Amino acid sequence: MSVEVEVNEDDLAEMVDQVWESYLDPEGINPFIPTYDENQPSEVHSSVSISGSWTGHLVYACSTLAARRAAAAFLAMEPDEVSEDDLSDVLGELANIVGGNVKAMLPPGALLSLPQVALAPESTARYPNTERIGGVYGVWEGEPVSISMWQSRAVKNEEESK
Amino acid sequence: MKILIADDSRVMRQIVVRTLRQAGFGDHDLIEAANGREAFDMTKAENPDLVLSDWNMPEMTGIEVLRQLRAAGNAVKFGFVTSESTPEMKDQAEAAGALFFIVKPFSAERFDEVFAPILG
Repeated sequence: MSVEVEVNEDDLAEMVDQVWESYLDPEGINPFIPTYDENQPSEVHSSVSISGSWTGHLVYACSTLAARRAAAAFLAMEPDEVSEDDLSDVLGELANIVGGNVKAMLPPGALLSLPQVALAPESTARYPNTERIGGVYGVWEGEPVSISMWQSRAVKNEEESK
Repeated sequence: MKILIADDSRVMRQIVVRTLRQAGFGDHDLIEAANGREAFDMTKAENPDLVLSDWNMPEMTGIEVLRQLRAAGNAVKFGFVTSESTPEMKDQAEAAGALFFIVKPFSAERFDEVFAPILG
């Protein structure tokens, strides 16, 4: 079974707002500011894969400093106290939260993987037979952050042949 | 009361603990499990009054933990704190005997709303 993507960039932007409001910027002082630059660089990334009624990946990518600040905000500590384990755990949880919310918007029958974290740029990731179908790209306290969706090409081709 | 927090993310366990404190439930005895198997074993060994469980965890998923506890005759108060929430998951949770379903990201207000009737 394949379905049209029912999650658009506005939906992703709303999820990002919720994450910022709940964890990264509860005081509303340092919001996520969209840049719409899908080619902005990253230094670390995390992903969850979704399979079933929609097949693809949800990827959270950012600079190391943005990840460190996110971990500090999540853990209520100073950025320089954040360990590499903290950083990985927070990156994984960010992909998991957004991926879980994406899954909730898909038709029944989608399965979410556990998160995968790589302390390397998103550009080093390879998702075979996929293409990026959309995302939210911006800066947080001047540092690049993006959340993007990669869809399995096989599923997309099936839709196009209908 | 003793509350078991089961989540494979250490960060999320810390956030749940912090949010429980913010919502005024920090005086309870809070214990943690890092995967589904550990949650199942600790629930039997430690006999908590309430279990807050993630859904998607290694070893055993949260719903498997709940089902196996019920199959073993354990009636502990149990609910989910998860980033995933679909109608079928909520149906499965309810059918298995879950009391609540909290979706991440969550707020202290949401915790208060759900836990005040349970924890008093």
